[in-house]
Amino acid sequence: MKPFPQPGATTLLVVILSTCLLLFVFQKIIWIVLPVLLAMMLYYILRPVVESLVAQGMHRGAAVKIVCLTQLVVAGSILVLALVLLSKAGSWQTSLDRYLAGGENLLSKTTLSLEKVSPMFKNMNLSEKVDDQHVQDFRDEFVAKNLLPITLGLLEWLPSLLLVPYITYFMLNDSMRLKKYIIKSVPNAFFEKALLLFSRLDDSLQNYFQGLLLLTFLDAFCLGLGLEVLGISHAIMLGLACAVLAWIPYVGSIIGCIVVVLVAATDFPDQTWTAYACLALFLAVRMLDDFVFLPMTIGRKLNVHPLLSVLMLFLGATVAGATGLFLALPLFGVMAVIGEAVAQVVADQGLRARHRAARQLAAAAQPV
Amino acid sequence: MRFFSADTNSEKVEMLQRIPIFHTLNRNEILEVNELLHERVYEKNEIVFEDGDAGHGVFIVVSGKLRAEPKQKMLKAALLDIGPGESVGELALFDEGPRSATVVAIERTVTVALFQAEFASLLTKNKNIGVKVLMEIGRIISRRSRQILRQEEHLPTL
Repeated sequence: MKPFPQPGATTLLVVILSTCLLLFVFQKIIWIVLPVLLAMMLYYILRPVVESLVAQGMHRGAAVKIVCLTQLVVAGSILVLALVLLSKAGSWQTSLDRYLAGGENLLSKTTLSLEKVSPMFKNMNLSEKVDDQHVQDFRDEFVAKNLLPITLGLLEWLPSLLLVPYITYFMLNDSMRLKKYIIKSVPNAFFEKALLLFSRLDDSLQNYFQGLLLLTFLDAFCLGLGLEVLGISHAIMLGLACAVLAWIPYVGSIIGCIVVVLVAATDFPDQTWTAYACLALFLAVRMLDDFVFLPMTIGRKLNVHPLLSVLMLFLGATVAGATGLFLALPLFGVMAVIGEAVAQVVADQGLRARHRAARQLAAAAQPV
Repeated sequence: MRFFSADTNSEKVEMLQRIPIFHTLNRNEILEVNELLHERVYEKNEIVFEDGDAGHGVFIVVSGKLRAEPKQKMLKAALLDIGPGESVGELALFDEGPRSATVVAIERTVTVALFQAEFASLLTKNKNIGVKVLMEIGRIISRRSRQILRQEEHLPTL
């Protein structure tokens, strides 16, 4: 078999640059990128269900409709729950005050303990700094300035998110036809390469999204179980929320950890060890994630070098903030597959020569 | 305007049913398979694939004629001119091994191509169709093998 030329450093550079460029564009149109991304995630999760129904003899159209109706019922329930939560936005301030007070209490107790243990901390006057007006000011300012914009921001996302089931339905129903439609425009010489590229992209995306779902499930299970054992209120909900937040690499996990520690500090104001245990649990799950779950699920599937992953996360965050953090790795995975295929076509002189010859033949066959 | 609507054209269904690989399939099954087929048109003298290329799928001639130019003498009996209803490159459905011949269109030729990954998904998703198509492809490969063996006088009595 003719050997495929291996992509070099130039290809990698082009892939990184095009990923950054796409991240920049995606950040500008995040209102449509997010529903499409969520729809893709649902598509790859629901596709095996549709396929198993088809394999049992059901017509594809009927299978898609049944799966999408179920999906709509679930999405409707989530929407109702979200609206109920939003309607209680007035009480958020009280809850936030309570949890921040719990956090403040934990912080002052921790600093006092540190000062008792080490004279270095005593010299730094940590407890006085914590006790000062800063925390109170932050709390008042945050509530006054950010609560309403956050609530309105969540409501602004509603129309975009309503697109998710709609896009998912058409992806499940028409993805093959869309693929055929795109492939039709590919010249004959590159036809098999294009099909192979589609197949690899499909595999990469399916592996990524199914891996992400599995990772979320494992995270939610471990965190939920750990928090339940520690006696934290709403343990399962908190575990699930933290697992979903972890979709945003690093930043999401830190936010999740802070939320859990605040809840623990509020639930058990006199037992600081519970909050520390929550922190330890979070770190343990994070380690489990990085060294066991992630390589078992997403890492193995995307086949991206750890150094490149970190580099892409930094670049993504610089170019497109939180959007970049969330999208950098999957987008890089997709762009790497495309980049490799394009590099092979560009380097394959025989294939390009065949394409040129085919164009000349097509031009000669045109009636004058 | 519908850019990628379902192709339920009865003429196309009849045309696909006349192809030996699909002749055991009923109308609904043909429609299911049609979703996976890619139509390609090759001008006279245009190369479909070359000897040594990595193979990713089978090409079935709908109209026109292809010519296989194998380097190995042994294959010349089995693959020469491929006319309407006949197929070329079936082995690529089972592995990504190199193509064993260069195939060229000797007149304007319309083909439908079935890609390896889509054939594999057909086998897992819809076993009824998959088995029927697989049996027909098996028959074609078996017939070609016998032709080659006869040509080489390795199997004179079979």
